[in-house]
Amino acid sequence: MPEISASGAAAAKPAVVHADTTAKWFVVSAISYFFLVGIIAITIAAKFVWPELLGTVAPLSYGRLRPLHVNGMLFGWLLAADMGISYYIVPRLCGVKLWSEKLGMATAALWNIIILGAVVSLMAGWNQGLEYAELPLPLDVLVVIAWVMFGINIFATIATRRYQQMYVSLWYTMGTILWTAFVYITGNFATEFTTGVNQANLNWMYVHNAVGLIFTPVGLAIAYYFIPKSSETPLYSHKLSMIGFWSLSFVYVWTGAHHMLHGPISQWLQTIAITFSVMLLIPVWAVVYNFFATMKGQWHQLRDNVPLKFLMSGTVFYLLTCFQGPMHSLRSVNAIVSKTDWIPGHAHMAVLGAFSFFAIAGSYYIVPRMWNTKLYSDVLANWSFWMMILGGLGFFVTLWLGGFWQGWQWNNPSIPFIDTVVALKPIWLVRFCSGVLIFSGIVMFAYNVMATVIGRRSYVQ
Amino acid sequence: MFSKADNSAAWAVVLALVLFFIGGSITTVVPPLVDKSWGRPFSNQDPSKGPTGHLRPYTALELQGRGIYVREGCWYCHTQQTRTLVADTKRSGWRGVDSPISTPDEFVYDKPHMFGTKRTGPDLSRVGGKYDTQWHRTHFRNPRDLVPGSVMPPFPWIANNDAEFRALVAYIQTLGRAKDWRPDKDYEK
Repeated sequence: MPEISASGAAAAKPAVVHADTTAKWFVVSAISYFFLVGIIAITIAAKFVWPELLGTVAPLSYGRLRPLHVNGMLFGWLLAADMGISYYIVPRLCGVKLWSEKLGMATAALWNIIILGAVVSLMAGWNQGLEYAELPLPLDVLVVIAWVMFGINIFATIATRRYQQMYVSLWYTMGTILWTAFVYITGNFATEFTTGVNQANLNWMYVHNAVGLIFTPVGLAIAYYFIPKSSETPLYSHKLSMIGFWSLSFVYVWTGAHHMLHGPISQWLQTIAITFSVMLLIPVWAVVYNFFATMKGQWHQLRDNVPLKFLMSGTVFYLLTCFQGPMHSLRSVNAIVSKTDWIPGHAHMAVLGAFSFFAIAGSYYIVPRMWNTKLYSDVLANWSFWMMILGGLGFFVTLWLGGFWQGWQWNNPSIPFIDTVVALKPIWLVRFCSGVLIFSGIVMFAYNVMATVIGRRSYVQ
Repeated sequence: MFSKADNSAAWAVVLALVLFFIGGSITTVVPPLVDKSWGRPFSNQDPSKGPTGHLRPYTALELQGRGIYVREGCWYCHTQQTRTLVADTKRSGWRGVDSPISTPDEFVYDKPHMFGTKRTGPDLSRVGGKYDTQWHRTHFRNPRDLVPGSVMPPFPWIANNDAEFRALVAYIQTLGRAKDWRPDKDYEK
């Protein structure tokens, strides 16, 4: 890592003091939304078990809370946390202060306005009707503005860097900013000018790449930074990280049409999407091998290093979810699992199991350092890990089993559809209970961070 | 070529964008230019080529109903695509007649598209004409009165709002009707 290699030079010059105001605001508001949207999450899980629950109140109906859950978790929690952590990582990897804390603060304020606007509009039913792109147009415009502000700040920091060689996390952060701009515009603006299958194709390009070219690269930037940092071990291979990054930038964008396999979309496009989905194994395995090889001889550290527990289990979930993805895109497997409850199991493993775990690890690592204190409770942090991993596994595994079973039933048309719904009820009950476990982990995580920040005086070193 | 991006941010930016745009343009801009059926409304008068009929634009009432379908998030649990799977054509079928598969030219007037990703409830791509207005009113009041075991939420604020209810049912009755696929023309109003 450049930080380590350049430490001699850094010692000669006065050390950079990082203000981290922007990172602090982003991380604290992201964690607040993680908690608040977690309440929505278990509410909609409960609605599968008790369909009448809050059923007569329009703003609290399933169809309005589901987009609030998805958008709240994606943009309110995960992306905001990822941005906050990037504001922490990038100046350190560049050996300079963040280009502008003022611009960063304005970005944080704007981001909070967007999320609050999203809550109001989604509950009011002001929904654009496209998955992940539900937010009304004025909010989309604000997202673009905030993203440009974020991009300017990060790129300007990189442009003024003291270390010439850029660590892999910096490429991933730059890639995220660039690709997100185009992916977001495709999904939220280009769709305005299209209809039917053409619009669906752009929509799936966006949905797929929201995960693949937004949350994946920024999540990997975080993992690439914190795995060596928190284990105090150098990264195994620079070459592998290059293979992972450049193959990701080429391969990911082709795969959107795999969301409509067997559906009313051109066969040749389905075949392209399948081919490139399988090729995704290359960037994924390059990254995962690199992380595992970095940990060689260091696995004992997992015993009492909570950020490392989140990072390495996140890596395992990343490997699993990115093995599932290419396999689902094979026509034979897709005919069974597509549209079933398997899919939310898969999606939650990516966004919660992999990328949220990376963001949680990053938060646990940076919060005590930014406030110059120590974590409120390591025991509680450990509990938050076990709650989330047990709840997470309960959630993922039951939905895979249930979804696979559901798919087999659907493929036997002599079974009436309603029987396939009734069959899933025990699955949904387990999913709700797993959700409660995950939520209790979120509460412990959020409480721990807030207590660290608010009660820090007693810990000043 | 790639090693140069280690030290040059500008080079990294250019390379990351070029690689991205190759796939990005081939999979988004090119397909509608190649496949004309994505933009041409369905029309067929020749029974030897499959179901006859033609796709007409939505009326104002149907569009209002479609807006309600979007607003209430019906599309989070109901897909609108009869896929090229035997089971789908049977499940979308009705009274022993299999449904034709969905084709891109049936969705030209759909904005936003409502293909969906998740089937918590049954697919609705051919639901038009299967159930009458009274059935829908009872079903929206409480789905479990008609379908025991259903997990669909009740929608009293639609069932009790005559204007919204009529619009929504008008939209539902259009679904899958561009193709005149019922041999006995036994569509409900």
